Amino acid sequence: MSGTAQALAGMRVLEISALAGSVAGRVLADLGAEVIKLEPEGGEPFRRALPLIPTARGEESAAWLAYNHGKRSVTLDPVADEAGFAALCASADIVVTDWERLDLDTMDRLAGIARRANPALVWCEVLPFGRGGPYERYAATDTVLQALGGHLYLNGDVDRPPVRISLPVGLIQGGVEAASAALMAHWHALKTGEGQRVDVSVQACIVWTLLNSTMAWQILGLNEMRGGAIRKERANRFFTRLVWETQDGFVFFGPVGGGGGSARIKSYEALIAWMAEDGITDPILTRHDWNGDGQFFIPQEDYDAVTAVIMGFIASKTTDELMARSVRERILLAPISSVAGVFDNPQFRARGYFRPLADPDRGLQVELPARWANLSATPLAAPRPAPLPGADTAVLLSPLNQGSPA
Amino acid sequence: MKDALTQVTTEASGIFAGLKVADFTWAAAGPIVTKQLADNGATVIKVESFKHPDSIRLGGPFIDDKPGINRSGFFADFHSSKLGISVDMSNPAAIEIIRPLIEWADVVAESFRPGVMRKWGLDYASLKAINPRIVMLSSSLYGSEGPWARHPGYGAQGQALAGIHGMTGWPDRPPAMPKGAYSDSVSPRYALSALVAALIHREKTGEGQHVELSQIEATAQLLAPELLVYQVTGEEMTRAGDAKPGSVLHGVFPCQGEERWIALEAVTEAQARALQAILGLDGLDRSAVAEATATRDAFALMAECRAAGVPAGVANKASDLLEDDVLNAHHHFWPLDHAEMGRLNYNGPAYRFEKTPSALRFASPRLGEHTEAVMTRVLGFGQDDIARFKAEGLLQ
Repeated sequence: MSGTAQALAGMRVLEISALAGSVAGRVLADLGAEVIKLEPEGGEPFRRALPLIPTARGEESAAWLAYNHGKRSVTLDPVADEAGFAALCASADIVVTDWERLDLDTMDRLAGIARRANPALVWCEVLPFGRGGPYERYAATDTVLQALGGHLYLNGDVDRPPVRISLPVGLIQGGVEAASAALMAHWHALKTGEGQRVDVSVQACIVWTLLNSTMAWQILGLNEMRGGAIRKERANRFFTRLVWETQDGFVFFGPVGGGGGSARIKSYEALIAWMAEDGITDPILTRHDWNGDGQFFIPQEDYDAVTAVIMGFIASKTTDELMARSVRERILLAPISSVAGVFDNPQFRARGYFRPLADPDRGLQVELPARWANLSATPLAAPRPAPLPGADTAVLLSPLNQGSPA
Repeated sequence: MKDALTQVTTEASGIFAGLKVADFTWAAAGPIVTKQLADNGATVIKVESFKHPDSIRLGGPFIDDKPGINRSGFFADFHSSKLGISVDMSNPAAIEIIRPLIEWADVVAESFRPGVMRKWGLDYASLKAINPRIVMLSSSLYGSEGPWARHPGYGAQGQALAGIHGMTGWPDRPPAMPKGAYSDSVSPRYALSALVAALIHREKTGEGQHVELSQIEATAQLLAPELLVYQVTGEEMTRAGDAKPGSVLHGVFPCQGEERWIALEAVTEAQARALQAILGLDGLDRSAVAEATATRDAFALMAECRAAGVPAGVANKASDLLEDDVLNAHHHFWPLDHAEMGRLNYNGPAYRFEKTPSALRFASPRLGEHTEAVMTRVLGFGQDDIARFKAEGLLQ
């Protein structure tokens, strides 16, 4: 389907960003927008963020490369060169930025210039807490926002402090949220000619990852507690094991006590049939209706006993063995993928999720998780190399090229 | 008070006022997408099968801890501003009701296991034959094609497969399960971006299309840098507990009270010095920091850190969120009244539009609450049609 126009073909996006703004630009670029990064001489600081990987041009940030391929780069200091910045804004549909790149005063000043130059422009900001009141200036980092959004409290082992997810999930999700919000605002601008400012709160993005916690508190007065491999699933009053060690890794599996439902019941039946083939027929396996109505009244020691038997069975298998049969027999089990597990996942591979990127300047030949959606008429863009700092300055700042996207 | 149908049709404001959505999504990942449309003015008609209602209606928390089809807070939070109709979708004659809905709609959204919409004669090719401009969103856990496409699973399986689970916990322990079926909250952000892009494309060209995504693939976008590191260096990054390279101090420390914790991160030397001064320490040795924080009130310590420009965040519990000064100043929660559930605070969007504010207009629909109103006032059926559909068992 190469050669087919992308959904956002003809849209121009300016990006003044660190991680969050780059992720927003990544989504828009994948959907076909021309995304132009405004960078200082030598490139934006995010190009040197950890972790670094070796390339033919020296060490570069893995996160920067992952979220900035297929964009253009212009060396422009928008504060010093107001006229140049205003001219670019006049040709753009969306500007995305974030607080790790611009302080609020600079953001306000640049937003003023941009929006005067182009009343239909969408100015989209990712901020720790969004706009308004004194809180817009509170210092924050991704970890702090994972905590304030209520997610961190629920992660980790009970005998140690709670932990973050070891990825900057708040900044990345704030970036994706910004992409969708900016597109919504652009939809409005298309219909009315009216641009506007859009701000995204990373804290609120994190709150949304809880799914049911704020309702559980309001309705039941229940604050859930973190658990590691063993926890109280949903609002259970007993503990069940959800993380199991295999011969070569870990799987997620809730064989018993998970709140009923026919899928859980069938999944358990398929499991014990398989265990029986291996000669494991301990009576505890069938002592209770483990996923039926009585599950809430089964004593904890029986849950522990059935868990011990199942644990022995799972430990005797490899993750691939477990998954192959689980897919065939609809057992509700999933590998807890390592990075390599994600990279080699047969479902992703069969669907063409990874797409090749050849970047000769950097000596990189890699595969990127590029096809995150399939649009039948306007497929996502194929990966192209990330720009060198200022690579497109001459072309894009030439007055002849400011009228319309290339 | 005006009824819900009047509110969504004649009085709608917001970015999507006038946009019409036939919503077949269920559980969390799909409804969170259509909630964004509904809370921004679209007319969203959620179609449920009364023989198989949305399964999260059967998931707690339930009002008064008593299960009931219209009593789930889990369901409610994802269904503000939506109209609800219920039809027996397993009856092939249901197409008589659904067909005019498809003709009416700009968008059809669904999140079933692959094959369900086809079984009902509502796959993209069939929808397009009815309404050539339709934009269809299909969001499923594994995606509509591939060897695992029909494997059952929920967000808990999704976050494991996407690598989020493996990235949570301590490196010397098995991975700790992260809260919240993570693929259910990450994938809607991607799905919404793709859907709105498809709407923009349609606005410019008149061409509709099918947007399909796997919730797991969308979620694995969060590991894009780690996938690059792995390919270039062979190193597999994994869960790091309290560690974060590049910070002077990074960790979660105990405070006064039961299960009270504060996340502290000093990124710069200036922040580190300010934090030392607040804690009365000469350095930032982790055990000394933990000892110093243990006697402090978490919220007071956070306020001191904020005043000094040091990044600090209490590990908020759900109860704290509802009283969080920042979320409340930002009007994150929307109190909405429901006939069976009373008043509850619903989560509002994480984004703010300066000129076209979002609005959670009314509480989640009871099962089939708007069937009759939608049938007569949107789809143009008469009372005699409704009586006939009831006699045929298509409607309750």
